[in-house]
Amino acid sequence: MAYAYLFKYIIIGDTGVGKSCLLLQFTDKRFQPVHDLTIGVEFGARMITIDGKQIKLQIWDTAGQEAFRSITRSYYRGAAGALLVYDITRRDTFNHLTTWLEDARQHSNSNMVIMLIGNKSDLESRREVKKEEGEAFAREHGLVFMETSAKTAANVEEAFINTAKEIYEKIQEGVFDINNEANGIKIGPQHSTGGGASGAGGAGAGAAGGGCC
Amino acid sequence: MPTSDSDDFESADEGQNSPQKKERKKRLSSSNYSDNLESDQENRKGQSKTYSEPKKVETTDGWDDFDIDEGSEITKVSSEKDTSGPKCEDTTKTLNATTSNTDKGASNDSGWTDFDDWGDTDIPKTGKEDTTKQPAKNIEEVTERLAATSTATSTKNEGWGWGWGMDSILSTATAGITNLTTQVSQGISTVLETSIGAPDPEELARKASQSVENKNKGEDSVPKDTNKDKQEESTNSDAQFPFGSLLSGVTKFVETTGTKVLAGGLDTLETIGKKTMEVLQDGDPGLAKKRAMLGLDSADKPVLSQVLREAKAKADEEDRIKEQKREAKEVHYETLFDDFEGLVHLEALEMLSRQVSMRIEERIRAADPSKRQDIKETLQQVAELCEMPEEDDDEEESGDTSRPDALHERLQTATRDIGLKMQYQPLIKHYKETLEWLSTGDISSRAVYKRGVSSLAHATALAVETYHKTAEMLLVKTRRSTADEADALTQMTVVITKHIGDIATLFTARLNSITDEDKEQVSNHITNIFLEADNSCKYIQNAFQLALPIIQIGAV
Repeated sequence: MAYAYLFKYIIIGDTGVGKSCLLLQFTDKRFQPVHDLTIGVEFGARMITIDGKQIKLQIWDTAGQEAFRSITRSYYRGAAGALLVYDITRRDTFNHLTTWLEDARQHSNSNMVIMLIGNKSDLESRREVKKEEGEAFAREHGLVFMETSAKTAANVEEAFINTAKEIYEKIQEGVFDINNEANGIKIGPQHSTGGGASGAGGAGAGAAGGGCC
Repeated sequence: MPTSDSDDFESADEGQNSPQKKERKKRLSSSNYSDNLESDQENRKGQSKTYSEPKKVETTDGWDDFDIDEGSEITKVSSEKDTSGPKCEDTTKTLNATTSNTDKGASNDSGWTDFDDWGDTDIPKTGKEDTTKQPAKNIEEVTERLAATSTATSTKNEGWGWGWGMDSILSTATAGITNLTTQVSQGISTVLETSIGAPDPEELARKASQSVENKNKGEDSVPKDTNKDKQEESTNSDAQFPFGSLLSGVTKFVETTGTKVLAGGLDTLETIGKKTMEVLQDGDPGLAKKRAMLGLDSADKPVLSQVLREAKAKADEEDRIKEQKREAKEVHYETLFDDFEGLVHLEALEMLSRQVSMRIEERIRAADPSKRQDIKETLQQVAELCEMPEEDDDEEESGDTSRPDALHERLQTATRDIGLKMQYQPLIKHYKETLEWLSTGDISSRAVYKRGVSSLAHATALAVETYHKTAEMLLVKTRRSTADEADALTQMTVVITKHIGDIATLFTARLNSITDEDKEQVSNHITNIFLEADNSCKYIQNAFQLALPIIQIGAV
């Protein structure tokens, strides 16, 4: 598929918080109650449109298990956005956020947009972490916050797309250097003059602005 | 003031000489002109007087009046003001006298206030009118335009511009207007009727007032409801009645029912005006877009069609390129490989490999100098274990098992001692599907070729994924057995490479069986399939090499 930009996302957080389910809901619009443990990293991709531009989100869904921590850390590099997920029904997953955040900040580029996600919002009766706590944590650490449900799909689209919007804004503001792939952003093959994907030399974004009506 | 306006102003200035340049500039300057806003406006004010095409200039003028502040307005017309001012006073008084005499000012307030304000907008003011409220201006403009449209005797240049614009406004604002009250729709029908020439009280009254306005050019005049004015007016009324021909016929109407109707009519018009402006300005502050669309800025007119032509040409070009790309992409190996997630797995494997290599180097550095050589030798030995064996011959085709099953068996055998649970299902499934596809009936060489390239890219992507997953699992494996791992991965690479060759052979054989097509084309396809198979093997070799440090680190 042709795209204007490719954004690399990474999903991190404790095991069992629903990272893979969030990805599946976003890419396939379905929910799988029982999910195999993720080994290392799995991938998902979906095309979205922002500001009239086709953007491919390439999502790296990492394993939450402690054993894979050293491996998944090596994947942080070059991500433009991160979804840091906890489970609202398990306080320990919320308590580990600081460690995850430190990890992410240490191994990724400083401009990475991080979205904090309290997943399983459908399980209100089993809630252990108040929404306000999530909000406070996000505020304190300069993250965007959202409660989602991979099961009901509530806020799932928004979480992925709002993150993309923030990244896109940063590109517009010139914060991200789109020619540096370490930022997790690639210019789509449609911008290269040759037409081939292999030698995708960035020809720069298309004409900005444009007349109205 | 909306920033987009200054764009138009700026453009209008330049557009005098070069419409094209203007167009370009307009497109580009979406946000950076606000700095120049003030000065642009000033320039514009000055220039508008010197334009050679009065009609267009006036048209533009009228629109500009929506947004400019009173100060500049005064500047603009100051020259006229001096001369027309007094005259204006007179005529105003005349008109006022007519009405106030007859009606005792009973319903003056609503109706005449509007008249009063009309003058402000495009005509020089006398001092007292400066108190007019700015916000009401837009509406008044529209109202005035309405009046001008229906005034056949209009002497103002604006009449043309207003009339033209009004039609547009009426048509564009239809949605808004339909929501208006019956009173308003009545008002509209009145406007429409009168423009055809059927006079009615409202219209006649308006004509009267309009002609006053027109003659005066700068009247601002129609009275406010101050008693002082009225008194003054009444004393002058008889003596100064310069357009009796028109007004005398009207007077009766005005005297009897006129004022009332007029007041109502003006309210109606005001409502139309307000509503119209609301509708027009909805999402388009300052009407910048609509002005551009309607071509009200003089230089816009020739450019509009050009814009459309350019847009069309651009769209055509884009379609053509898209089509070409789509064609090319269908059989573009790298794109397909990317679509099958081969590229991203390779990238992840690369990241892993790089990180592990760094760790190995750290270990070497951290080690005792006497041990360093040992470590390096061990690494070298592992690398040698991973060297690909010479091509062997034994293509033992196990007759009783299906080809996919045979592949699965060979892969399992190859990695028997790796100590991991390997997942080959995706590769096997893909192989099955490929064989099934190839066994179907009549397929064109082009289709076979496309499927062949896609199949190679897919198998390669799955293979790369296998290396990546294996590498990840090896890194979390608790007990490493480097020699077994090295051997297993080497054997696996041999099997996968052969598998790729097998797929290529299947497709080229199929192509060779096609006899009813252009021979040269078919042989081109065959050559390309082999080239892509070679490409696939390079990817697989590359993935294997990237996995090497992951095997090596288990030994140090």
